[in-house]
Amino acid sequence: MSEAVASTEADRAESIRMIRDSAAAVAPRGGDTKRVRALRFTDPGFDPAVLRQMGELGWIGLRVPESAGGAGLGMGEMCALAEELGAGLAPEPLIPSALSAAVLAAVAEDRATLARILAGEIYAPIAWQERPDTLDVPGSPDAPRRFIPQAAGAALFLVPVREGGRIALYEMPREGADLAIERTQDGGNYGTLRLALGQAKRVADDVGAVLDLALDEAALTTAAYLLGVMEKSFDLTLNYLKTRQQFGRVIGSFQALQHRAADLKIQLGLTRASVESAAAALDAGAEGAARRAAVSRAKARAAEASMLVTRQVIQLHGGIGYTDEYDAGLYLRKAMVLANQFGSATLHRRRFMKDAPEGAEE
Amino acid sequence: MTAAAVTPAEPEDLNALDDEAFRLHVRRWIEANYPPELRHPPKRLHWKDNKVWYFKLAEKGWLCPGWPKEYGGMGLSPSKQIIMTEELERWGCTRTNDHGIVLLGPLIIKYGSEEQKKYFLPKILTGEHIWCQGYSEPNAGSDLASLRTEAVEDGDHYVVNGQKIWTTLAMDANWIFLLVRTDKQAKKQEGISFLLVPMDTPGITVKPIINLELHDEFCEVFFDNVRVPKKNLVGQINKGWDMAKALLGFERIYLGSPRQSAYALKGLRELAEHMGVWEEPEFQDRYARLRLDLEDLKAFYGVYVAKLRRGETLGPDVSMLKIYQTELFQRITDTMLEIAGENAGLLGPIEGNRDLNATGLFIQARPATIYGGSNEIQRNIVAKNVLGLPS
Repeated sequence: MSEAVASTEADRAESIRMIRDSAAAVAPRGGDTKRVRALRFTDPGFDPAVLRQMGELGWIGLRVPESAGGAGLGMGEMCALAEELGAGLAPEPLIPSALSAAVLAAVAEDRATLARILAGEIYAPIAWQERPDTLDVPGSPDAPRRFIPQAAGAALFLVPVREGGRIALYEMPREGADLAIERTQDGGNYGTLRLALGQAKRVADDVGAVLDLALDEAALTTAAYLLGVMEKSFDLTLNYLKTRQQFGRVIGSFQALQHRAADLKIQLGLTRASVESAAAALDAGAEGAARRAAVSRAKARAAEASMLVTRQVIQLHGGIGYTDEYDAGLYLRKAMVLANQFGSATLHRRRFMKDAPEGAEE
Repeated sequence: MTAAAVTPAEPEDLNALDDEAFRLHVRRWIEANYPPELRHPPKRLHWKDNKVWYFKLAEKGWLCPGWPKEYGGMGLSPSKQIIMTEELERWGCTRTNDHGIVLLGPLIIKYGSEEQKKYFLPKILTGEHIWCQGYSEPNAGSDLASLRTEAVEDGDHYVVNGQKIWTTLAMDANWIFLLVRTDKQAKKQEGISFLLVPMDTPGITVKPIINLELHDEFCEVFFDNVRVPKKNLVGQINKGWDMAKALLGFERIYLGSPRQSAYALKGLRELAEHMGVWEEPEFQDRYARLRLDLEDLKAFYGVYVAKLRRGETLGPDVSMLKIYQTELFQRITDTMLEIAGENAGLLGPIEGNRDLNATGLFIQARPATIYGGSNEIQRNIVAKNVLGLPS
């Protein structure tokens, strides 16, 4: 648990409100999508200056203890921030950067790389994934690392490698690395990295446990980002329903559309309750199976509900929703990338059934 | 589990206990005092069968958790009331004939005259008056405000003519509270008044309705020139609609409580094990979805409980809970029938085991999306009053 998790409910609500307000620096409420559109399908797919700004605002190290140069705040704050950034579709790789910072802060003796990551000076993702739809870290010494988010902007890679019973961490420079980049639907990219551990520097002996924890937090933070995507795209749709006229009436007066909107609103309510209660459980110290169950519940919900909402956003807009010029598609494409990142709904449902003790809630 | 039949020492102020201590205190008393043969009744019990529990609660002073202490209630905070409800449900306690406790009492406390408070409230506490609720009519269900049962002034009486329907346990009741039309010229919500009527008044006929559970839970109640003293009007004339509506908030969160779905999901698991499909991956995925839906419903419900705890009043968005809970309850019981094979056609529980009551739960789940305002009406409420979509 973070050392500075605020104690009382009221302090907590205030702290979360302040984080939400501060998010406006990058993703102003009611802001347009001009910046997001300009960065789409470019290299590196995000604005390094904005990543630096996120570092200066303390966001990358939000969860990192103050003793290691972070802000030492809770998952409640982290999720609130991610939600605001999701509403603004911010393409900067805050979640992978925070993942790197959390791992390095817990294990590395040399703080130099950590400090640069925390400041947003460099993007140094952890190259942990070896196959699609997994949260396992096998740490194979020779398997390519896949689906590295926004890898085109990476300055170096942190590579977990199994050594006997432990997972060591190596720092591999981008320079000279065998890195293949693929574009993603949202205008960003995924990298596939072939390892060259000869050029890598060993920075920690055993990151196994801390990486599991940090991946869970990344999954939950991604669920919160998706919640923001859902909220904003639903707002866009509500506005449209209230203004678009057909048959001489505002289309939002049609009961078929009203009932569909009501059902989407229920999914938004469930997703928010799921994400916020999971964050609260982690902040209250949930560990092991209880932590995994809470995270999986929220990510499964956010993955499915975000796809449902963003698909319906297209449908409820009709033809205009299918144009690239209109923003509806931006939210759908973002959900397509994030719904399965850090585990699909199917993976998380399966994990929930494994980890959640049945009947314990009764 | 058997608890020793002792009554734990009663704390002065139950509201002062923290939630967990309160929960345990209530749990211990229920487990020690609830008649075991009445646990998890398969159908709603009539007065003759549930009154033993009514009188136990009355004797303990726990009959009316929501009423202020000065009127003989427990004066519990809303969040403690919810805990109490959860504990009663957890132990499978029967509902009593509780319309006087849950609906009429709070309304009289808020809107009744001093004389009405003094006369009626104690008689609810002793079980001397058992109430039923006369709101719905054959042509005023979802559109309740179009009700037509009328009350016409005649000296110091009103004369009531018309018909009520879906009146729960009317055959058990000796009093009925009614919404009646007292002004046919006014806008439909503005000509409605609230009347209290003894069931033995000449001109009242009660006819039970057999529902899909093959149970006579509901009745039709007919009024033929029924004379009601004017002093039995609650609040102002033509203000009955507003009074009745003001008390619906608690009902909506009650209908959104995850209890029915949680009970059904437990039944689904037992049924799946009995049918030998529990380990099948296809079933596991379906079950996981339902279980996660239930867990998220609990979290969503928790949001509203927390609002009550902070002393906030619930808005129209609480309708979302009712919609989701009742439809989840139905999806769970639908799944039960799908895996039950030919047992899905049985009239009673499978092999006579009450824990394997797939068809019973399936039938019970049907009206959940209709009563308390149908889910279609609830979606209209969400669309108009939460999302601000136009008419």
